[in-house]
Amino acid sequence: MLKYLPKSQAVLQVYAVIAVMLCAWTITAFLWKLSAWLLMLNMGEIFTVFAYAMLANLAESLIVLLLLLTASALLPPHLFRDHFVVRGTILSIGIVGSLMLFVKLDMEFGIESGARLLIGPLAGLVLTSVLLGLPPRFRLVRFLHSAIAWMADRLTVFLFILVPLFLIVLAYVAFRNIA
Amino acid sequence: MSRINRRDFLKLYAALLAGAAFSGASPLLSSAHSQNSDKPNILIFVFDAMSARHLSLYGYARKTTPNLEKFAERASVYHRHYAGGNFTTTGTASMLTGMYPWTHRAFNYRGMIDRGLTDRNLFNLIGKEYTRAAFTQNLWADILLSQFEADLDFHLPCDSYSQFADSLMQPHALRADRDLAYYVFQDFLNLRVDDPHPYPGSLFLASADLSRALASDRHHISADYPKGLPTNHDFSYENPGVLQGIGRLVQGSLLQSSPYLGYFHFWSPHEPYNARKDFVGIFPNDLKAQVKHRHSHSASNYSEASLRKYRREYDEFIADLDAEFGRLLSELEKSGVLQNSYVIVTSDHGELFERGELGHASALMYDPVTHIPLLISAPGQTARSDFHSLTSNVDLLPTLLQIAGREIPSWSEGRILPGFGKADDPSRSLFPMVAKDNPAFQPIQHGTFTLIKGVYELFFFTGYPGHPDAFELYNLQEDPDELNDLYKKDITTASQMKDELLEAVSTANRNYQKK
Repeated sequence: MLKYLPKSQAVLQVYAVIAVMLCAWTITAFLWKLSAWLLMLNMGEIFTVFAYAMLANLAESLIVLLLLLTASALLPPHLFRDHFVVRGTILSIGIVGSLMLFVKLDMEFGIESGARLLIGPLAGLVLTSVLLGLPPRFRLVRFLHSAIAWMADRLTVFLFILVPLFLIVLAYVAFRNIA
Repeated sequence: MSRINRRDFLKLYAALLAGAAFSGASPLLSSAHSQNSDKPNILIFVFDAMSARHLSLYGYARKTTPNLEKFAERASVYHRHYAGGNFTTTGTASMLTGMYPWTHRAFNYRGMIDRGLTDRNLFNLIGKEYTRAAFTQNLWADILLSQFEADLDFHLPCDSYSQFADSLMQPHALRADRDLAYYVFQDFLNLRVDDPHPYPGSLFLASADLSRALASDRHHISADYPKGLPTNHDFSYENPGVLQGIGRLVQGSLLQSSPYLGYFHFWSPHEPYNARKDFVGIFPNDLKAQVKHRHSHSASNYSEASLRKYRREYDEFIADLDAEFGRLLSELEKSGVLQNSYVIVTSDHGELFERGELGHASALMYDPVTHIPLLISAPGQTARSDFHSLTSNVDLLPTLLQIAGREIPSWSEGRILPGFGKADDPSRSLFPMVAKDNPAFQPIQHGTFTLIKGVYELFFFTGYPGHPDAFELYNLQEDPDELNDLYKKDITTASQMKDELLEAVSTANRNYQKK
């Protein structure tokens, strides 16, 4: 089974990209709301809200990773598994970025904009497909791929913060719900 | 997920009740909850944002409440009853704790009661002898009920009896942290599509909520509801379904568990004022309302024409609700559950359609936004009693404790209502207030404080950025529209009331700092 999956180092690099993007969004939203909560919630309560939010992030990031791993297992190795860091990163950025764009457009223009809110995310997904399909024989594409791989590698440093944080909030929430 | 949970909950509840009916013993109820006919049942019906000023029961020109008037024929009717604040959190917390907002500290939007005072609530004080059930469609009121979770035998999810939930996650999804569930979901992770400034914390939940909103008719407009279904902006519902559901619940519960304390807090007639088609346009647009110019503290600037339109829609929505409530009362009457039950009808706050302001929770505390209905029908009561002395919704807790034969705590800032053993006190002072932007953990520095005493009402606007502190004084008997500010005209009254109000605020702040 494991032979269908990419190497663990590659998985970690892609996971770092996913987790950093999702957590960056959540933490920004958290800071935006914090001033209002300070009026009525104490520090313990604010941490509890944060813990549930980070737990949601953990679940979401694992779902995205699982999707990529499933694709890796199902597709021919030369299409995805052998280029997991680059293609997984492009796909992660494409999926999470499109969701960000979708929600951000609603935040800017409101639900009344209707289906026009979908234009941005769909364009993002098309761009992702194009990037995935670019053949590496062009120098610019090779440069792009190496830049993406470098970025994914650099982002793994955040896992030293995020993984312990996920474990702490997981234990905290589990304790609250069991106790 | 929320739908499954809700259904599961209701199915489980119905199954247990049915099982209990057949077995002759309720597995849900402790031995303390066995039948005890000595104590009366208490049913509290709260209609959110229902201003006494808009009820024909209290003399309003439009015939908005024929069914409440019928109910009043065998009830005690309180004509000068006031909320502790001008929006849900303050009003509901004052009603359920018997304390003013400056003591219970739930005065922010979606705020909570001081964590050290959560045992000071009606459900706890009435004791385990009663089966205590609570349901609210108002999520801010649900935060407060969640703080009393340990004192409730049944706490129904807010979206029980609703039809369309806007978000995937609803507060009852967090069972262990239900008091914080609103902040986790509605205030943070979910995308609430009606929120003017959304910033959802979860991309997945937000995208799911947004996709659902885009894919559906969000307003649920139908032939029966030409303006769309009533909604609390988190889920939509129909009043017949909600009130019938509560009626069935009460009938089923009282068969099994008596004495019973039920708190039922409905969203209607809160905005949006989406009445059924039978009530749309029932009132002609000929109501003679005084033109009141925009107040310097108004946050909005609605035109008089807009305010007249919304006022009419609000009145229609009240009439719609009144018809449904009449049906519920008939059902309860027929089933005999009212024979040993006190029925209380009230609100958490009123509604304002004047001075450029629409709704509630602004800096304005004029009479329509704090003056609320209160009717109490005792078991076997056949005649109407009218009480015209000042009463506050902090009085409900001591009164209900007296009815239940429980001790009234010394910390309660309320009094037993007239008609329940205490004589009227003409020198009584009431202190509704709004201080929603003040930190709950600090002395109150800015907000609008009110002193209502006798026929007078004094407002103290303090700490509003860009505004100097100001007072206004009105004689509610001679000037019910509050147009003639007497603050600089009736110097003696103004001075006495100002001293009393400032002393009360100062004492409240001092007590808080000491604590």
